[in-house]
Amino acid sequence: MADDKDVLRDVWFGRIPTCFTLYQEEVTEREADPYYLLLPRVSYLTLVTDKVKKHFQKVMKPEDIGEMWFEYEGTPLKWHYPIGLLFDLHASHTALPWSITVHFKDFPEKDLLHCPSNSVIEAHFMSSIKEADALKHKGQVINEMQKKDHKQLWMGLQNDKFDQFWAINRKLMEYPAEEGGFRYIPFRIYQTVSERPFIQKLFRPITAEGQPHTLIDLLKEVSPFAVSQGGGEKKYQVVIHGIEPMLETPVQWLSEHLSYPDNFLHISVIPISTD
Amino acid sequence: MDYDSCNTDLHLGEKTFQLSCHNFIQHSKAIGDGWVWESIEATNEGYMKKVLLKMKNAFGYTIPEQQKIVNEKTYRQEFEVQDTMDLEEIDISSIDLSGREMIRFEYHVVYSSSYQVPVLYFRACDIDGRPLTLEEIWQSVQENYKERLLEGPWETITQQEHPLLGQPFFILHPCRTHELMTPILKGAREEKQSVNYITAWLSMMGPVLGLNLPISYTTATSAQQLD
Repeated sequence: MADDKDVLRDVWFGRIPTCFTLYQEEVTEREADPYYLLLPRVSYLTLVTDKVKKHFQKVMKPEDIGEMWFEYEGTPLKWHYPIGLLFDLHASHTALPWSITVHFKDFPEKDLLHCPSNSVIEAHFMSSIKEADALKHKGQVINEMQKKDHKQLWMGLQNDKFDQFWAINRKLMEYPAEEGGFRYIPFRIYQTVSERPFIQKLFRPITAEGQPHTLIDLLKEVSPFAVSQGGGEKKYQVVIHGIEPMLETPVQWLSEHLSYPDNFLHISVIPISTD
Repeated sequence: MDYDSCNTDLHLGEKTFQLSCHNFIQHSKAIGDGWVWESIEATNEGYMKKVLLKMKNAFGYTIPEQQKIVNEKTYRQEFEVQDTMDLEEIDISSIDLSGREMIRFEYHVVYSSSYQVPVLYFRACDIDGRPLTLEEIWQSVQENYKERLLEGPWETITQQEHPLLGQPFFILHPCRTHELMTPILKGAREEKQSVNYITAWLSMMGPVLGLNLPISYTTATSAQQLD
């Protein structure tokens, strides 16, 4: 478990170098310099960009400032997706830093959820943890926790405190020894080529014979297009936290160690570029 | 019925969800209530959908008992709108709204595999296609439900991504649906009666959002239910 804790820390402290640029048609009183920031992979755009907002608001009049939203190459970025997922899904094949355009006008109502305050992010985050626990333990672990434990999960994420977060989260990663794993694995599989935002189904970590299911078992059942058949040429990368795990990795281990703080395994299926 | 074998665990399987919706929609067609099934291309998944047009006046949204509720089909018939037109393309200048706004409410019943229950997703926009805000949506909640909704953080209305469409919708959070439905399902089982999960659930949840079911659903959908 000592080695596994290193994995947890590497995931928690994952960073993405990012350059924020104000949209050219925003009305400014003077030129707006770009803002550079190391974004935490496991957090949410609207939770970690207060400084970005303040930076650009300094060159704008109050009447020109609406709800801030972000866009990458024409795609509005969903703040409720973890930052690392957004990068893996939309930008992992491009040069660093990640170039994000900042907008204050024309909020895309049909694409993005509103995010008026941090309490909305907290509600979304806790809702995701609750859903993940419904899959893993029928919701029993999260429901038996006290409110202060829920608060500690949120404060750990908000303040980037690994030990504070994992003091509570480790309970959500436990399971009875006789069962060999969670009831179901909380996962979502994303691909930009589909209109559907993600694929989410019930999937057990252990076979009926008691063998561990692997990542390739999951993909074959849920996203068969993502794995090449009969030794054909590989067409897709399967990316979690910016890396391609071996397809033989047990999904129970992945769920315990490569999930995001919301306790979901967010898996990106990315077409391999031919450049 | 396709419930878990454990007596204390009466969850709804996805196939039963689809069957319940199918039976529900059959009756909806029979009485012209406007529910339809929307399939997701290239999968065996989908959701149940209904569109309602409601009048808005200075006192907020009119409730069904006081003002005519028209579904989309009736709306087209009444205003002689060609079927080929999208609602957004209707020329509102030709419609006499008597100074009142028309609001288009869209309801989706989507299966949650995580909670193994149905979830009510909804959104609303005005005739120009502008989405309503959460505050405006809140006005459409029946007054006596607001207090209940405000009691617990899990039971309020929040904006979330539609899991099949990827668009912003509002939902009533599903995490307590199972808890609310269990006594109904147990009671029906003990009485050896059939119950359509969707009918029972929507009868309970729908009125929160001004979505009321005619009583005929209860008898019609129960009779169709398989045991």
